[in-house]
Amino acid sequence: MASLREVCTGGFVEAASGLEAIEQLALGPTALMVLDLNMPDMHGLEVLRFVRAHQAYRALPIVVLTTRGDETSRTAAAAAGASLFQTKPFTPHALAGQIRQLLEASAGQVRP
Amino acid sequence: MSSGDENFFAGFMDDYFAECDEHLASIREQLLRLERGGEGAAADRDTLDELFRNFHSIKGISGMVDLREAELLAHQLETYLRAVRDSGAFGADGLDSLFDGITLLERTIAARREGTPPPSLDAIVRRLATAAAGIGSPSPAAPVQTSGDHGAANWRVVFAPTPDGAARGMNVDSVRSRLRSAATIVHAVPRVLPEGIAFEFTLAGDLSEPLIAEWRADGLTVEPVVPEPAAAEPEAEAELARGLQPSHVVRVDLTKLDDLMRIIGDLVISRARLEESLARVARHVPPVEWRHVQEGTASIERQLRELREGIVRVRLVPVGEIFRRMPFTVRDLAREQGKKVHLAMDGANTEIDKYLVERMLDPLVHLVRNAVSHGIELPDRRVAAGKPAEGTLRLSAAGVGDAVLIEIADDGAGIDGAAVAERARAAGLPVPSGPLDDKALLDLICTPGFSTREVADRASGRGVGMSVVKSTVAELNGTIALHTTPGQGTRYVIELPLTLSIADALIATMGERTFAVPQVAVREVVEVDAASLRPLGGQEVAPFRDGALPIVRVSRLFGLPDSDRPRLHVFVIGSGDSAVGLAVDRITGQREIVVRTMADTLVRVEGISGATDLGDGRVVLILDPLALARRGRRLEHGVPA
Repeated sequence: MASLREVCTGGFVEAASGLEAIEQLALGPTALMVLDLNMPDMHGLEVLRFVRAHQAYRALPIVVLTTRGDETSRTAAAAAGASLFQTKPFTPHALAGQIRQLLEASAGQVRP
Repeated sequence: MSSGDENFFAGFMDDYFAECDEHLASIREQLLRLERGGEGAAADRDTLDELFRNFHSIKGISGMVDLREAELLAHQLETYLRAVRDSGAFGADGLDSLFDGITLLERTIAARREGTPPPSLDAIVRRLATAAAGIGSPSPAAPVQTSGDHGAANWRVVFAPTPDGAARGMNVDSVRSRLRSAATIVHAVPRVLPEGIAFEFTLAGDLSEPLIAEWRADGLTVEPVVPEPAAAEPEAEAELARGLQPSHVVRVDLTKLDDLMRIIGDLVISRARLEESLARVARHVPPVEWRHVQEGTASIERQLRELREGIVRVRLVPVGEIFRRMPFTVRDLAREQGKKVHLAMDGANTEIDKYLVERMLDPLVHLVRNAVSHGIELPDRRVAAGKPAEGTLRLSAAGVGDAVLIEIADDGAGIDGAAVAERARAAGLPVPSGPLDDKALLDLICTPGFSTREVADRASGRGVGMSVVKSTVAELNGTIALHTTPGQGTRYVIELPLTLSIADALIATMGERTFAVPQVAVREVVEVDAASLRPLGGQEVAPFRDGALPIVRVSRLFGLPDSDRPRLHVFVIGSGDSAVGLAVDRITGQREIVVRTMADTLVRVEGISGATDLGDGRVVLILDPLALARRGRRLEHGVPA
């Protein structure tokens, strides 16, 4: 978590469910989304599809968390527009590295 | 909400409409296939599957943009199709319900696009449900439910998150908890509303008035549920996954292509300018070097042409995009009027500029409606005239060089010239004496203010009349011709240029002036001896082949002095009896020109279609040979131009 704070200079918000994640998009500018596929209300893929259907968020970097060996979800998420994948379990450092990479790539496109 | 957000939602809706258009186009195509099979025939599985997928997609995206009516109707169509697929039969009134349902679906989406109230769907939803039930398939989602399963009322609650609300603790999680404590949440989905992202909860249970009031005070929208389409069935999802092919198609905004075309136009001019400059330095360059330079410019010219043709091809779409709509128009109108019409289509794959397709849609629909309403007779009338009871309406398209020919032909009663003349006189329009030929007839019925039965029936009311048909074709630099034979039928032939902005042209001079003449309109170029011109009825004719060619001196049309050259160059426009020669001093060359149309009505002159930059800094006028030929013929008849 510490390294996540360090990367996300604009602050980050934790969402406990798919609807909350989408709510965050409505509440303010978002630079990046880390999405778990298993959530209580909506499946992560549904969130991903909803977000990508939305023109304003087509370029929003989205890291999707998948489980080792779950190739099906990974393919589906790739088709639905995931930017990068992180296989669980992972170290915060690995995720932070990916986030940094995506934020740098999208710098200038989205305000962090 | 900031203006950026508004743009975003406008863009989102544009995407929605574009996607709906694609699905509706595919639906029409499938329907044609179904109709060919006939009501009795076993339904072709692939066709049904494709239709099913289309309805399913429209249902999904309509839900996303909160177009409830379209979502509901698409759902009902999908339900009916499932019944058809399970039983292999359409059932009584089934195919008609399907057609009517699709027409209404189109109108519902169009209503949203135009901001008009959607059509009423109650009747069609009932018919589709009845049709589905009639086939006897136990369809899980068929009956439309107006209340929840347990007799409890259903409610829809919409919550739109805002930063202010979030600060007060109004977030999707707290709202969900409140709702959950009062009723059962059947489902919760995010939506894109015009105001932004919102969450929609469907609740089952009784809500007390005070509770509803409290929720409303907190900014929630609370309303009883109208029949709610069931969520996507797993079967349909699986099917969608199977049917999704990687797409090799991108959708491009037409204005972006226009920009590209404009840039290429500028390139064409720059190249011409470069060539002029090179010509001036040619004599200072050693021949060997000069050949390299020439090879260079020649290949740039060739590549530019390829680039231009590539862009033109990108803009081309099959004329079938228009044709595919016609079966609906014809079917509806024929049914309304008790007529039998067989619609035949040829050349639907002929390609035409997207812009032309869009502009020509309404005019062609008008001509098709006219053919059904006024051309094709009632079945008993046809039989009495010794014709088959079913009339034939033929739509065809063909590419001819740089132009596209579109024909609309019916085997109906033809146009009654005497009735048209009478009608025109009654409307106070000038009518030439004597029998009317096809051209005069067309001119009359295209005169603004002339209309036959149009006022009375539904064929009018679209703001399109024959006068609009004619003026649209003219604006697109096209021509329209009428051929009608009483008792045998009517045929309209429309010729349109393939694309508008860059054209091959012949450059001609008259005295010190230079003009460009689009090559597409010129049938041939001949040289005539000025001395061989003979006056004939206020006009001159030149010997041409075995006959005589009326000659119009372009100089006279523009009030310039006549040429004193012994030999004149003549553009032959049109063919056969309607051929006219436009005489100029000299044709000096041929080149690609970039047409800049004169949009300003104040500077529009009949006979001049635009201007072009020749590359040497000279701006020359582009003649409209067809208009000039028309004007010439009028002079010939002694009518003031």
